Amino acid sequence: MATEDARYRQTSQYELWSFSPTQLADMREKTNAAARARIAERLSSLPALSNNTSTPASSVNTPDPDGASAPALPEFLTAAEEAQLVTFFTSELLRAGDHAEMTDEIKATAAAFFRRFYVTNSIMTYPPQEMLIVALFFGCKAEGSFVSISDFVKTFGKDNPEEVLAGEFLLCQGLRFAIDVKHPFRALRGALMELAALPDVDRARLGAAETRAREILRFSPLITDAYFHYTPSQIMLAALSLADRGLAERLITETFHHVTPPPDSGADTPSASGTDAPSSKKPTARSGEDKAQIIGCHLRDKVLGTIEACRDMLAKELPERREHWTNKAVIKAQITPLRKKLNKCRDPERWNLVELQRARRQQAAKKADSEDGDPDDRGEAGNSLQSDAAVFGDPLTASARDTKRRKVLSNGKGLDDPFGGPL
Amino acid sequence: MAVTMTLDPIEQLNEDEKRKYIKGKKLGEGTYANVYLGHSRQDPSQLVAIKKIKVQQQYQDGMAPDAVRELKYLRELHHPNIISLLSVFSSKDQNLNLVLEYLPLGDLEMLIRDVDRVRYGAGDIKAWMGMLTRAVWFCHDNFVLHRDIKPNNLLIAADGEVKLADFGLARSFADPGRRMTANVITRWYRPPELLFGARHYGGAADIWSVGMVFAELIIRAPFLAGNTEVEQISLICKHIGTPTEDNWPGVTRLREYTVPSEVVPVWGKEAYMGRFGAVGADGVDLLVRTVALDPKKRITAREMLEHRWWRTDPKPTRKEDLPRKSGGGAEEKMGADLKRRNGILEDEANNSNSRGAKVARKLDFGQGK
Ligand SMILES: Nc1ncnc2c1ncn2[C@@H]1O[C@H](COP(=O)(O)OP(=O)(O)OP(=O)(O)O)[C@@H](O)[C@H]1O
Ligand SMILES: [Mg+2]
Repeated sequence: MATEDARYRQTSQYELWSFSPTQLADMREKTNAAARARIAERLSSLPALSNNTSTPASSVNTPDPDGASAPALPEFLTAAEEAQLVTFFTSELLRAGDHAEMTDEIKATAAAFFRRFYVTNSIMTYPPQEMLIVALFFGCKAEGSFVSISDFVKTFGKDNPEEVLAGEFLLCQGLRFAIDVKHPFRALRGALMELAALPDVDRARLGAAETRAREILRFSPLITDAYFHYTPSQIMLAALSLADRGLAERLITETFHHVTPPPDSGADTPSASGTDAPSSKKPTARSGEDKAQIIGCHLRDKVLGTIEACRDMLAKELPERREHWTNKAVIKAQITPLRKKLNKCRDPERWNLVELQRARRQQAAKKADSEDGDPDDRGEAGNSLQSDAAVFGDPLTASARDTKRRKVLSNGKGLDDPFGGPL
Repeated sequence: MAVTMTLDPIEQLNEDEKRKYIKGKKLGEGTYANVYLGHSRQDPSQLVAIKKIKVQQQYQDGMAPDAVRELKYLRELHHPNIISLLSVFSSKDQNLNLVLEYLPLGDLEMLIRDVDRVRYGAGDIKAWMGMLTRAVWFCHDNFVLHRDIKPNNLLIAADGEVKLADFGLARSFADPGRRMTANVITRWYRPPELLFGARHYGGAADIWSVGMVFAELIIRAPFLAGNTEVEQISLICKHIGTPTEDNWPGVTRLREYTVPSEVVPVWGKEAYMGRFGAVGADGVDLLVRTVALDPKKRITAREMLEHRWWRTDPKPTRKEDLPRKSGGGAEEKMGADLKRRNGILEDEANNSNSRGAKVARKLDFGQGK
């Protein structure tokens, strides 16, 4: 487990998309606040807001005594409301994936894409109903399944490939071009093999646990924030523990039985306590069996604590909750009002993906009248929203990664061993 | 909609990334990308290669498969023998730009082909093969199949390090039971299981390609250069042996299994010594293991790294001392008058570039793992 976690720390999932709960909440707040500010600005700069379609009723009912000045802004969604809608639409995404008979990996990747995209983009800015289809389409590709766009949209009874294609690049950019998602499925297969190799584990029990754990992995971590906070093996252990606590504990005991002394923190929990934390968790003492055992126990307790926390998170959205998210009464009471609200506070410049792409291309064509040079190299005159970058703090700019890469660039690695890193 | 659009945070981030690099002259053109030289805006001495993915006319389904695969795998694989992806950004017209480390010394194919001006020996081959094997091991250890290993996808860094590039055909190891396409890997480097249309295959497919590169490095020509798939199969049968139920249980059940009627028994090590003996008996032993017909019996990348060849003399050449492509000036003078046998040099202590030809080879590769 230790080496797997060491490897995990090199993944983009860890580097870019792992956050502590506080960090994640913070980012969502910032995304929400920034979107409100932008949408407000864009709405008020629209030439004809006073007779804008989104507020026809109000202009009839409450005639403005001062004329058309000070246009009324819509009520915006809060970050919590956004999060709830994202969860609802994640359930819709999973249902659409089931309908199209996609593999577990594709559905899971698409769900992760969708939720990642809406960490840094507001649901008021880009349309979730379209983006979930885009996420499924790009999820197929990311998992190596290249279907034709016309066949793809047909599966969903649609005939608008442009819309999906228009969102693809946007999604990819929103994912910061990190399109490999690490899932717990492989870890589950490994765990089951390990358990099956133990002399005294009942086959039927193992089979039942496998079925249930897999069922959980297909839903619970995907619709919650589990992927942001926990590693694939932690999620797997939490699911296994929900399926059969005894078996999960057995597996953990077996694993830590062999830890003497830990070469690296086997308790690596990248995110539960913040992306910057792991270095501080490395065991310092390395000498002596006693110490090794103390550390072993210490690590095990840490791992158990993390898995317990993950378990609690998954327990809130067990597979039985699929029905909850399609229940008419629930939707009517909790979702419909939010969607109505959303309809009134959409970003006028971003919401229509096809239009947005067309405008982007137009802009590009204008700049690139001479292809010899490079349209990309010219400075960006007149970008008024420089301040948006400032709104976004550190997690997004991933300075750690940048310095790491720069180091690679500059010192040419200088490794003595012609084979590079150790085996 | 206003055409001068303001930027959202994620778009701003992209602008910032893009602004870190300045794009220069075009370095080359591939099937799905143009490659430009570039440099860091902050430090112009830091060169990069910017691979700008073309908008493909014939591919109507959005981002092209090659681009998706290359992006996916290069973003995750960090290893000295795999080309590094330094950054990614999109240009205004929604073209994907991959910023790669700049590898100025061409590729292995150039070295192999330039028989007149580039001389190299067993120690050099050992160094190149070591770097290739490490790269492949790392891919496989991360559950990634490259599926297009060949000399021209092995680029060379300024310091001589070989880097596996071009992940446009890569994919993750499938679950047991899931089918994959057999239509991958350039023909000359394609293993028999793919030529027979196998839909389930693994790392062994890449290993065959590694073996073909190994053979090509030694004889300085493609080992099995079939003009068609049928010819490729008959070349394999002729030079390696005919796949049969005896040497490869189950092979006759593969969808496209057909072999020439005359059955050639699998050649033993001795048969290779004449043509490939320049790498020594241990080298030949390794070569033969990479071209086992039955993929189940083929050596794995990890087993390759544990092979004794790396530890026997001659030692692998230090990467700084490896021969370089010609055209760079005085580099080739040193090796010019050395004798060649079987396309490779007998004396590989003197054959490299002027800079470090006589430097003692301290490295003991394969030892540090
Ligand atoms: N990192 C790099 N550093 C320096 N030159 C490069 C680099 N990558 C590519 N090139 C140059 O650009 C050319 C095009 O590269 P690219 O990988 O797009 O295509 P290719 O491998 O040559 O062909 P194909 O796409 O058919 O496989 C290469 O032949 C090489 O000359
Ligand atoms: Mg290529």
